[in-house]
Amino acid sequence: MFDWMNILWGLFYILVFPGALFTCCVGLFLAGIDRKVIAHMQKRIGPPIVQPTYDFFKLMGKETIVPARANKLVFLGAPILGFVSLALIMLFVPIFGFTAFSGDADLIVILYLITISGVALIAGGSASGSPYAGIGISREMVTMMSYELPFVLVLLAVAKKVGGASLVFSMDAVAAWQAENTCMAFQWSMIPAAIAFLLIIPAEVGMQPFDVAEAETEICEGPLIEYSGAALGVFKLNTAMKMCIMTGLFTSLFFGGIRTGYIWLDAIVFVAISAVVTLICITTVHAVTARLKIEHLFKFFWTIVSGLAGVSLVLVWLGL
Amino acid sequence: MFNKLIDKSAAKSPWLYHINTGSCNGCDIELVACLTPRYDAERFGFKLAGSPRHADIVVVSGPITSQSKDRLVRTLAQVPEPKCVVSIGSCPQSGNVFKGSWSVEAPLENYVHVDVAVAGCTPKPEAIMEGLYKAALILQKKREAMHK
Amino acid sequence: MININYLPVLSVMLCFLAAFFIEIFGSKIAGIRRFITLVATTAVLIMTGLMFKPIMLDGGIVAYWMGNWEPVNGYAIGIGYEVDALGFAFTVLVALTCWLSSVYALGYMNRDHHMAHYDTLFLMLEGSVLGLTMTGDIFNMFVMIEIMTFASVALTAFRAKQEGALEAAFKYLVIGSIGSSLNLLGIAMLYGECHTLNMAQLSALLYGGLTPTTAFAFGAILAGFAVKAYIVPFHTPAADAYAVAPASISMVFAGMVNKAGVYGLIRMVWIVFRAMDIKTIQILLVVFGTVTMFIGVTMALAQHEFKRLLAFHSISQIGYVVTAIGLGSALGLTGGIFHAVNHTLFKGLLFLCAGAVFYATGTTNLDKLGGLSKKMPKTTFCFLIGAAAISGLPPFNGFASKWIIYQAAYEKAVESNNFLFAIVTVAGLIVSVMTLASFIKVTQAVFFGQLHEEHKDVKEAPVSMRIPMYIMSALCLCGGLFYNVVNKFFLHPAVSTTVNVEAYINRMMGDGYAAQYGVTNIAVEPAQFSFWNPLVWLALFAVVFCAAAIVILTGKRTRGKVLTPVNADPKYATFFSGEQEEFSQVGGSDLFWGFKKNWAGYYRVMTGLHSGNVNDYATYTVIAVAIIVLCMFIFMR
Repeated sequence: MFDWMNILWGLFYILVFPGALFTCCVGLFLAGIDRKVIAHMQKRIGPPIVQPTYDFFKLMGKETIVPARANKLVFLGAPILGFVSLALIMLFVPIFGFTAFSGDADLIVILYLITISGVALIAGGSASGSPYAGIGISREMVTMMSYELPFVLVLLAVAKKVGGASLVFSMDAVAAWQAENTCMAFQWSMIPAAIAFLLIIPAEVGMQPFDVAEAETEICEGPLIEYSGAALGVFKLNTAMKMCIMTGLFTSLFFGGIRTGYIWLDAIVFVAISAVVTLICITTVHAVTARLKIEHLFKFFWTIVSGLAGVSLVLVWLGL
Repeated sequence: MFNKLIDKSAAKSPWLYHINTGSCNGCDIELVACLTPRYDAERFGFKLAGSPRHADIVVVSGPITSQSKDRLVRTLAQVPEPKCVVSIGSCPQSGNVFKGSWSVEAPLENYVHVDVAVAGCTPKPEAIMEGLYKAALILQKKREAMHK
Repeated sequence: MININYLPVLSVMLCFLAAFFIEIFGSKIAGIRRFITLVATTAVLIMTGLMFKPIMLDGGIVAYWMGNWEPVNGYAIGIGYEVDALGFAFTVLVALTCWLSSVYALGYMNRDHHMAHYDTLFLMLEGSVLGLTMTGDIFNMFVMIEIMTFASVALTAFRAKQEGALEAAFKYLVIGSIGSSLNLLGIAMLYGECHTLNMAQLSALLYGGLTPTTAFAFGAILAGFAVKAYIVPFHTPAADAYAVAPASISMVFAGMVNKAGVYGLIRMVWIVFRAMDIKTIQILLVVFGTVTMFIGVTMALAQHEFKRLLAFHSISQIGYVVTAIGLGSALGLTGGIFHAVNHTLFKGLLFLCAGAVFYATGTTNLDKLGGLSKKMPKTTFCFLIGAAAISGLPPFNGFASKWIIYQAAYEKAVESNNFLFAIVTVAGLIVSVMTLASFIKVTQAVFFGQLHEEHKDVKEAPVSMRIPMYIMSALCLCGGLFYNVVNKFFLHPAVSTTVNVEAYINRMMGDGYAAQYGVTNIAVEPAQFSFWNPLVWLALFAVVFCAAAIVILTGKRTRGKVLTPVNADPKYATFFSGEQEEFSQVGGSDLFWGFKKNWAGYYRVMTGLHSGNVNDYATYTVIAVAIIVLCMFIFMR
């Protein structure tokens, strides 16, 4: 009845590679690189690359205080919900030739899972009962609305490009199409979409200049203000995982055509490209910009970034 | 295994929360100077946190005015264990030049156990760095004591 | 065994009879009144259940001629009741909504007076909407619409002392009457042209195409039902009426009264006029639907009143339904009907939660509520399910239906190479995110956040109010998890009878009647949605959850403790930069000022348009009707 081998492999995929463990490790690694490189950009030595890992373990060892006003179940459940939804995403992102789970509409599933992780942050902040968190979640929500539009446009453009006459929302098909033709990033009609996606990544991860929701000097990290100990650690881990997922998504959407044939080599190349993407769109942007206001952020995403993505969509629609 | 890792991490990633209790701002800018490229406290993992809930080390500067005393005590209570309290400058230790004023309630020891006190008006960034680093080591000890 | 063909007319009669009995026997004794109401609604639910197998599983059509006036020489002269799978899908909604509402009202309405009138009107409303969904006669449909409108108006103003109740009822009366008159006008013209009022026969006679007269009639009837479905710009009375009516009635309004309009739209455009191949009608419906969903949700973001906010969301969700119907594909219709069903469930649930909050605290003003999750944990739980469902989060039903709608819209865009439909897809996704935003605001303002001093002794809603909430929450979850079952036994039969009118015509007018007019069947494949296998997903979630739990449990010694709060200890107080809670100056009730600031111009125009003046609203209605009728003539051929 049950195929035990398959179930074991499924568990392996979910828990180790490319699921939870892989995402965590790569995420923490990317976050470490980000902190190191930005330190070098500012002529500092900077923390070791394993610093985010230290942070995570330290937080695990601290007390977790549930504030008197908080709704305990939601307050403690939210980080876990976010973690679960993020751990699942990598299963659908092809690491070049290899996908753990594939379906017909992975892109939409990924879109929804990312939204769920955002909702988890908002729910947690909301349940903590702090008015600072109230301001934080409203900003988080507006940020979400801001990047969702260009994100959808980019995904539609990719789907149309791959599908041709019909529409393909399968990540596998996107990867296969790129293996047959060229990488999406080398299609000139897709370049605006790629730039738009690069701008979406820092907003999705919550990095400067789009970190209005968690502005630590202004509203005390917004939704996270009342979190401490392990719960905070999981949220920090979630941010690192998001880094891995978003850059990985970019890699497989726009550089999905690279295949060596060996899965471990693929994985290494994948992480390397993701790291480069991180350096470009998170570290550099972080180093040279200051935080935007929330209304500027909204305007920026709905005009310039959406415009870029829209240009690609129209070009693709015209068959270019 | 995890215990050891966590204990080690406690010393490697101390997050600071800074409370100014009526300081003249001299110590505060010296603390910020520690984070600048010249001294770069981040290489030890120090980071300024936005909320006392996130903090490991609470840095207190200033002579603790009557207005700020209650706020200070309340905020210190909100920091999760294990935590360290570091006072910067002479003010929290003795009241410094403000000693004897009707509106100053130094020393800090009256309200909370101070783990490391960095004296000076103002202390050099090097001294602050050393104080903070010592506090990080104390953090590790406290963490070890927690699970023993 | 009872003859299945008698059931439709029996259930309608039962409701009306029960209404009169309540007025006669139940006005003094509450027990009798409650007994009659519950028996009537339960009996209707059971009768609906009995019809499920023959209609949905066997694909039959239940038909009954009043007074045995069967067609003579191929002309239908009597009133016929005819329940096909489409009508039945909506009948189920009506029966279920009314049953849940009557159970809920036991607890919810126990502080009100003149409850006999309430129950009378309630049963009139149920009977009329049941009649509307089950009748096969277009004039009978109009009669039922009239009863429905007037019962609704009276129920809107049931708590007449509440501020704005009479005003809302008046608006409802004016706009609703315009809609009814349009229906009557259209029906009269149809009768003049086709000499019959039976919808099956009309469908056959109109099969060849529309003459100018019938096109005008179509426009008028379409507008009439659009008014009943409250699509923009006919939505204005809905926002007021849902807000001031008792929650058990708001739920009925959102659950079935506007569904009656949706049902009418589907019945007219897909079956009687068979106009879905015409591009103008598609674009008309899709544009109206998209505008509706967008305006509904943006207006909801600006609301400060719980039920009024829900009302605008209701409008917005109906926009999805109308858009999906207007796509003109079987998949779109599946999505539309599915979303209509889901909307009944989750919006009903949300209204019931709002009612529970009102029952417990006496207010629905979002600025005066807060922190209720500790006092009303069960209501909070149900509300969160409802909010997740309406925002389209998996694994709830709203996700499944919204996804089908996106899929249908995009397929349509690719198929017709029309960019408009791609915009519709994007608009749908964005509106969904905005819905989520709005519900986060409500959750934050009502259930989380700060508990107000005057709500310290608030209690959880009584069991009789919670049971309907539990049932609806369970259905919201099941609809998302087992959408394939829902599709197979509920949606597919409804869609396939809607697309194939031959059986519908023949059942009423005799075999072979449809063939005379060239009506033939087209086979419809059941909609495929293989995109999302919720059970696998649930398993995935469970596995990861278990893994997380194991890690957490085994690591108990290494991990820092989780400390539960002690109230007086400052350690557990919320952080206000060291300040005591009561002196904190941090506001933050208006969560979306940043968003609204960007859209200041839009909101200025919109609040200007929603002036609250019934003359203005009547003007919008007339303008929209003129546009619809003009479209019929200018672009029809």
